[in-house]
Amino acid sequence: MLCSMHKWLISRAVDSKKQIPAFTKRHLGRCDSCRKFTQLCGSLKQRFAHDTTAILKGYNKAIDQKIISALPEIKESRSTLSRQGVGPNLFSKRTFLVPSLVAASLVLVISISILFLTLPRSSEVNSLANMSDLFKRAYPVRILEKAESPLEKEYTELKETIESTAKFLISRLDVRLGR
Amino acid sequence: MDKDTILKDLSDEELAADTAAGSCSSFEELISRYSPRLFYFLRHRTASDQNVEDLIQETFLKAFRNIDRFDPKRNFSTWLYTIAARQAVSLYRANKAKKPSLVPMASSQDPQEIVIQKQESQNLWILAKKLSRKEYKTLWLYYAEDMPIKNIAEIMKKKKVTVRVLLHRARINLAKKLDKSVYSESFAGENSAEHKFSFSEIGEI
Repeated sequence: MLCSMHKWLISRAVDSKKQIPAFTKRHLGRCDSCRKFTQLCGSLKQRFAHDTTAILKGYNKAIDQKIISALPEIKESRSTLSRQGVGPNLFSKRTFLVPSLVAASLVLVISISILFLTLPRSSEVNSLANMSDLFKRAYPVRILEKAESPLEKEYTELKETIESTAKFLISRLDVRLGR
Repeated sequence: MDKDTILKDLSDEELAADTAAGSCSSFEELISRYSPRLFYFLRHRTASDQNVEDLIQETFLKAFRNIDRFDPKRNFSTWLYTIAARQAVSLYRANKAKKPSLVPMASSQDPQEIVIQKQESQNLWILAKKLSRKEYKTLWLYYAEDMPIKNIAEIMKKKKVTVRVLLHRARINLAKKLDKSVYSESFAGENSAEHKFSFSEIGEI
């Protein structure tokens, strides 16, 4: 348990090029496995560098020739594409289809709204006229007038009060006020 | 100074910029620089030689096609290794890890060949190939390519901490394998040369 923690700290110290913590150093004095691991970690860079040069020597260069032989073909296709593809492709789905769909839907909405506004809504007008006739028949004028009478009465009373007040003031103050 | 010498003096990023400008010879130089390194980066015990060759070819052709997209401010090796790693992942998914047939060692082998194979078996990379794919790749990028952990994380699409953990695990497992191989070597020395280290790995080279 402790060894795995110390090994992690050793590994971390190697990666970050920092000193191994003091308590790990103390542990190394006691633990043979961790001491070996530290030695291995320290030597790995050099060993791998040496072995990399050794292993790379055994590489078969024939693969390179295969790739190089395929290059002119790709270069040709690349240059053809660049010649063709100057600017955006107007007939691609994204540049052509989407705006045309939007325009078509707009035209549809506008035409429907024009039709809706210009066509006479005869049935609706007739139905409204019928409604008012029915209302008049159901509630005669008298009833309506009766319903309005308290307001009318108040209005006339107020008018009379104001007129009498004005007359009183004219007579008292002797002010020639135009009527 | 001839053209080859000039190209050899240029940095990877300069060569990539030249390729983008239309120079094929610059890309050929990049191929000669990187193909062996990519070969051993992609060559794991689960990958067959044919698959690796196809992967390298695909990687370079993809890089050549998209060289215009390469930003010269970035590291070319990181860019190329990222393409290679992605190609490997897609191939791995497609093949679902078909194990290559390990070539059995012939009993009547040339003694000189055996000596060469023995020397190769001592190569640490042969031992590292026995680690997991991720561990091997992390080791390759860290030790063979001398890449910082940040770039390795970018290539492998992992966090920096994950790369550190992978490196640590690789070291631990490598230490175990080294212990085993030392034991098997001493055991084989006492018995016969044919028992020494399973040559199935060497057969792959």
